[in-house]
Amino acid sequence: MKRRIPQELWFVVGGLVLFGALFVAEKTLNRYLLHILILMGIYSIATVSLNLTNGYTGLFSLGHAAFMAIGAYTSTLLTFPVSLREAYDLPRLPWFLGGPNAAWSFFPALLAGGALASCAALLIGAPVLRLRGHYLSVASLGFMVIVVTFAKTLKSVTRGPMGISAIPLYTNVYWTFLWLFIAVYVVWRIVNSRFGRALMALREDETAAQVLGIYPMKYKLFAFVVGAFFAGVAGGLYAHLTKAIRPFEFSFTLTFQIVVMLIVGGMGTMSGPVVGVVLLLALRYALKPLEEHLKLYGLIELIYALLLIVVMLWKPEGLVGRKRVSARGRREREEEGEWARFSILK
Amino acid sequence: MFSLSYFLQQSMNGVILGCIYALLALGMTVVYGILRLINFAHGALITLGAFFMYFVFFRLGLPFVAALFLVLGFGGVMGLVLDLVAYRKLRGGPEVALLITSLGFYTFIENLTKLIVSPQPYAFKTPEFLATLYRTPYLTFRTVDVFIILSSLLIMLAFHLFVKRTKLGIAMRATAENLEIANLMGIEVNRVISVAFVLGSAIAAFTGFLWGAKYGQISYDMGFLTGVKAFVAVVVGGVGSIPGAMLGGFVLGLAEVLSIAVLPTRFAEYRDGIVFAILILVLLIRPSGIMGIREEVRV
Amino acid sequence: MISLLKVEKVTVKYGVIPAVRELELEVGRGQIVALLGANGAGKTTTLKTIVGVLRPARGRIFYDGKDITSLPAPQRVRLGIALVPEGRGIFNRLTVRENLLLGAYHRRDQGGVLQDLEEVYRLFPRLKERENQIAGTLSGGEQQMLAIGRGLMSRPRLMLLDEPSLGLAPLVVRELYTLIRRIRESGVTILLVEQSAPMAIGVADYVYVLETGMVKIAGTPREVESLEEVKKVYLGG
Repeated sequence: MKRRIPQELWFVVGGLVLFGALFVAEKTLNRYLLHILILMGIYSIATVSLNLTNGYTGLFSLGHAAFMAIGAYTSTLLTFPVSLREAYDLPRLPWFLGGPNAAWSFFPALLAGGALASCAALLIGAPVLRLRGHYLSVASLGFMVIVVTFAKTLKSVTRGPMGISAIPLYTNVYWTFLWLFIAVYVVWRIVNSRFGRALMALREDETAAQVLGIYPMKYKLFAFVVGAFFAGVAGGLYAHLTKAIRPFEFSFTLTFQIVVMLIVGGMGTMSGPVVGVVLLLALRYALKPLEEHLKLYGLIELIYALLLIVVMLWKPEGLVGRKRVSARGRREREEEGEWARFSILK
Repeated sequence: MFSLSYFLQQSMNGVILGCIYALLALGMTVVYGILRLINFAHGALITLGAFFMYFVFFRLGLPFVAALFLVLGFGGVMGLVLDLVAYRKLRGGPEVALLITSLGFYTFIENLTKLIVSPQPYAFKTPEFLATLYRTPYLTFRTVDVFIILSSLLIMLAFHLFVKRTKLGIAMRATAENLEIANLMGIEVNRVISVAFVLGSAIAAFTGFLWGAKYGQISYDMGFLTGVKAFVAVVVGGVGSIPGAMLGGFVLGLAEVLSIAVLPTRFAEYRDGIVFAILILVLLIRPSGIMGIREEVRV
Repeated sequence: MISLLKVEKVTVKYGVIPAVRELELEVGRGQIVALLGANGAGKTTTLKTIVGVLRPARGRIFYDGKDITSLPAPQRVRLGIALVPEGRGIFNRLTVRENLLLGAYHRRDQGGVLQDLEEVYRLFPRLKERENQIAGTLSGGEQQMLAIGRGLMSRPRLMLLDEPSLGLAPLVVRELYTLIRRIRESGVTILLVEQSAPMAIGVADYVYVLETGMVKIAGTPREVESLEEVKKVYLGG
């Protein structure tokens, strides 16, 4: 117990240093670079939260973009200035959310976005998290498609494929990195607790974990919901940075980018996600002018995919990760028997 | 409101979409059965096949039948490359690793196509001899529709005969059932897997052509959702069952088209959502699918 | 006596853990050799190594005078080694006939294969009855017959049987052992792994007892039977 205190002290110190650095950055960097920095922060929140569900709990969810979408749309609809609502065909807020003349302020709106994303996670998690490995992945992918479909079709609320623009620019470095700080701290606390060890036990071998008295659903759901919350917040931050959101932005491509960042950086490590984000976003913005001038559309995604393949084939633990000996060795799988191969439920 | 002809017309469209899903599901289920890999890259082969056909038939002007065989060959080779380069290395590792890598390969191929060919969709003209229109009192269709149904049935029949009658086909089913025992018996499991990839990929490439011929447009991203839906078809029909995969394809195709046909037009955009809602429902209510393996085996 | 199979100081590891250590055994042509031992003693590992699915970290395997240590399994099957796996190892979703044909997967002589199929049906008339039935619907005893029939389809010279009596009723086990004797009479050499010692010892020409991956006892059935430890542990006193 004694060693805990100095570690949390690091957080405090780190936080102060971080915000000091941000202050300097804000004053010195030009808008473009600042924009990139903020994006790095936002993507980091998304990746860190995905790390909790995928990396530490072993639930390979491919629907993360759905939670970002929910967070983005929710917070936007809450903060949208009253005066512009009519012009933009957006509904006014109902009485229990403040009434027709209300617009929320940023922080509560972000919280609401995250909360709604969490609710969605709870709803979809209960059925889907029971499924085995890749069925979970495809089902979560399906969930994302469903969410995006709703975003495209519930035109009265979301303005359909056109999306919502003229979103107030509330996001700045401080908000973004504050939330990143919170996210990292929360994940760190979870991972380094008994709860976290249970999560990792689940990841390694669910049957063994059950024997130890760990109820899988409770833990999986918790990790899933927390991950969704921060994804929702990230979505809200994103919306209020880019000032416009459209359904197709939250498609598989976004999830894929986050997944690549997570894996290249190192799933299941604390610093891996951020490393991955920084590296890949820096790469993106370095190559962007090239892609646009030479009209080589798709180049950046291609490189992302290539990096993913290279990492998966030669260094699956990512840049930061260390090789993990898989507990479920080949022999154990041999002894599993045929019926287990096709069972979809665990 | 709904006339018989409307219903028949939409059913036909559903059957055609179902043919395409069934063909794709065939390729996916063999690979999945053996390796437990959801091959996302399967979808990429649809795109590759479509564009390859476009260039070989429309641009180069090769005769139709020759072009078809080239497409099949091209698909087969691509599948083999994927197997040898990527999946073989990951055998025996965690299942999720295969999934992630296949996602990587899908994205790679999709963007390579986007880069090398075009980010804009291409118009895929139905070949003239397939474009003849037939009007009957109840149904309007083109030759291409008949072509799709016939060629799909032919391929499915050939595939069925292959896995039922040939040594290699039986070995493939055996390996899909239990890879370890097939190995113990001295069956060259790697070779069987490669054959599965080659066959499935060749069929997928052919499907790309069918898609282009029917829907008139091909683009670099045409393969993703279709590929995933093929997996939905596998699940619906029953994982581990080859006839199940084909059945699942038809069921899904019909369900997708008919549900949209029956609902008011503004629901048309719900198409993809409906397919995945079906997936989630099946996974929750009847995970073994229509023809999936149940515990009918005495131990 | 010229040996058909000679396992020389073979060590097989799972990761870092040795499952079989410096194992030495020999099977003479036309013999039935029994390999006994408790669960986890390394019997199945030994068989898997002989058939070629596992590679020894050290040691060599000789078959018919040739060093086959680096030969992959498919080639060993072609040379005449057949394994009937533990728990039958049949393909439950394939038909009886398909299972049998798979046994002959490596053979090129289509005519010979069909002939052998008839032979197997003669040996096991019940399999002929259920020719097109799904293998999973067969009874335990019938499945064992199917597994052995499948092994015979490869025209083996050396047959490796992994716990064939597992889960079978005593009456069926007696039938099984009669069958094993008949197979030996037809010229096939047999290496038999069993937990149930009495029957195995009764049919064997030579007995090895494994413990934690090493040969603890080796000898003729009479020699082995009289040993106190064997009597207690394997023969129930």
